[in-house]
Amino acid sequence: MRIGMIMPRSGGGRKSLVMPEVVRLLTEFGVEVEVICPEDRLNHLCQLRPVHDLYVLKDTSDMGLGLAGILHAAGAVIINPYPASVILRDKIASTGILKAAQLPVPETYVTADLRKLAPLLKDGPLVVKPYRGRDGEGVRVAHDESELIDPLSRRAPFFAQRYRKPDGMDHKLYVIDGQVFGVLRKWPAKTYEEKLGSPLTVTPSLRDYAVRCGAAFGVKILGLDIVMSDGEPYIVDVQSFPGFKGVPDAALRLADYIYHKGLQLLNKKI
Amino acid sequence: MKTVIFGAGRIGCGLAGQLLRDSGHEVVFVARSPALRDHLNRVGGYVVRLVGRGETRDIRVDGVRAVAAGDIERVAWEISDAGLVITSVGCANLESISRFLAAGIRRRAEPVNILAFENSVNAGSLLREYAGEHLPQDFPLDRYGFAGSLISRAVTQRIGDPASGGPLVFVGDAYSRVIVDGAGLRVPLPQISGIMVTDRYEAWVHKKLSMFSAAHAAAAYLGHMKGYRYIHTAVRDPQIRAVVAEVLKEGQQGLAARYGGEIAGDESDRQEVLERISNPQLCDLISRVGREPGRKLKADDRLVGTARLALEAGTEPRNLGLAVAAALFFNEQKDPSAVELQHHVFTQGGEETIRKFCGVDSGSLFGRITTDAWYRLSDGWRQGRVLIDLERMTWN
Repeated sequence: MRIGMIMPRSGGGRKSLVMPEVVRLLTEFGVEVEVICPEDRLNHLCQLRPVHDLYVLKDTSDMGLGLAGILHAAGAVIINPYPASVILRDKIASTGILKAAQLPVPETYVTADLRKLAPLLKDGPLVVKPYRGRDGEGVRVAHDESELIDPLSRRAPFFAQRYRKPDGMDHKLYVIDGQVFGVLRKWPAKTYEEKLGSPLTVTPSLRDYAVRCGAAFGVKILGLDIVMSDGEPYIVDVQSFPGFKGVPDAALRLADYIYHKGLQLLNKKI
Repeated sequence: MKTVIFGAGRIGCGLAGQLLRDSGHEVVFVARSPALRDHLNRVGGYVVRLVGRGETRDIRVDGVRAVAAGDIERVAWEISDAGLVITSVGCANLESISRFLAAGIRRRAEPVNILAFENSVNAGSLLREYAGEHLPQDFPLDRYGFAGSLISRAVTQRIGDPASGGPLVFVGDAYSRVIVDGAGLRVPLPQISGIMVTDRYEAWVHKKLSMFSAAHAAAAYLGHMKGYRYIHTAVRDPQIRAVVAEVLKEGQQGLAARYGGEIAGDESDRQEVLERISNPQLCDLISRVGREPGRKLKADDRLVGTARLALEAGTEPRNLGLAVAAALFFNEQKDPSAVELQHHVFTQGGEETIRKFCGVDSGSLFGRITTDAWYRLSDGWRQGRVLIDLERMTWN
């Protein structure tokens, strides 16, 4: 079995122990694993074609998605699928899909001009986010007009959601093929230890939201950020193939799932 | 020499057929599935893929044919001049094939040995009894050998489609030894590679049940609770591995007390079992290893039987008890035995289910161990949850 792991550039301030362990385990399982870091190499697009039985798309940077798009067009099987991964990078489209699936999201606004958000502040603060942001980058709570600035100096569109005062720590849910794992995490989590959080027993309703969310996007591996406010859940972010920090035996669980998918594909070919 | 093999499944093809063809014997399968029978007759063979320690070896098994399991005339005719008959149909199916076997025996001029490749202490005597029911009372059945046989190879997969033209592939580990109950034989056994005849058959069966089978089942049931798909993944979970290692120790202590050190073995035997079930090349699914939990939980089977041996040795089988409790959470919907077990747990509770399925009273030491483990596990269990911490018994 040959698996191509499309991974983000190593370093860059990220500390992930999970994915290197997934690679090690898959190799131990007898899988021929090639780690592909699109940002670390010269990619010859005309020569790019699927040469692995399965691809794992962990790198959802523009480079990673671009390469995955070419592989997808050429018929590669990818976890998570390229179209869903692209949508999940786009908070505007993602929120629309969540809403269509009748999942709880805060009131959400999109504008090309941040000043247009100002009148909304009279009803309370807004959370302004880059619409293609990751890892909490550039997220800020705007209480008044002076805070309606784009911290990353990016161009429109600007994405804003009604701020819901959390009852406590954020609920982070991780899904691997229907299995839902919960972590309680402070926001914003800055250190690695803060990101590990503490275990959260997932309630049946949160489990239902997580599973329905995966089904809405057509992905098996995802993460959800949920804010509980006045006892009500609000899904404030969804990620394709998150880092699974704080999930016990995450690498083993991911390797088990990826191996199973690969084997299913191989057995179909025979 | 011709051998008739009842059952063209994983053990029939993946071990018996291969050993016999390796030894130059003619092989005829009695196949229940018409598609499989037609495939074997059309292709004339299959591949046995032996995997272990990172190596893979394909053995092409050629020159085999198959007859329909329902064609009593044809089956009897094939048995009439066979030099050996083997069954690999599962103990539960021995009764259903006995009519066909008896029809063949009646046509024979000379006695023959029938080897039951069923991994059971009493499969030979059971088959003799079943066959006798289809023969005249004065038939000299005592002259025929009915011998239980213990299989060492784990054949985990059949790859391929019988409707296709390509050979099927049976995947197993590279263990080829078959231990035959010498007391059950009546005529000399032909030379077959891998076969060893013993006069301590019961001890060897218990060794397999108490070591390999118990560890395998414990890994499956604990792995299922933790949400894994493969045995090799479950055994890499440090908490599960620790329990499985202790299950092996408990089993070995029971074996040593009952049968002595030669059968029980030492640490290297435990390591060998751990290594075998850790082998990812077997692609062994937890749903396969854990299937039929009702049978595997019986008082004389791998978990409870091993625990009873351990208790005889003065060992408290706490880890075997945990594995039994875990089996009560095996809720594979496609497995009728698991569905029945789940229904019983749901309606009667764990304590009563352990009594009924395992024959273990909740007042006994092992009953207390297993019911206590079940109560601790069930405390946080809900449908759809997976166990995230075996020591703290916490669920996601």
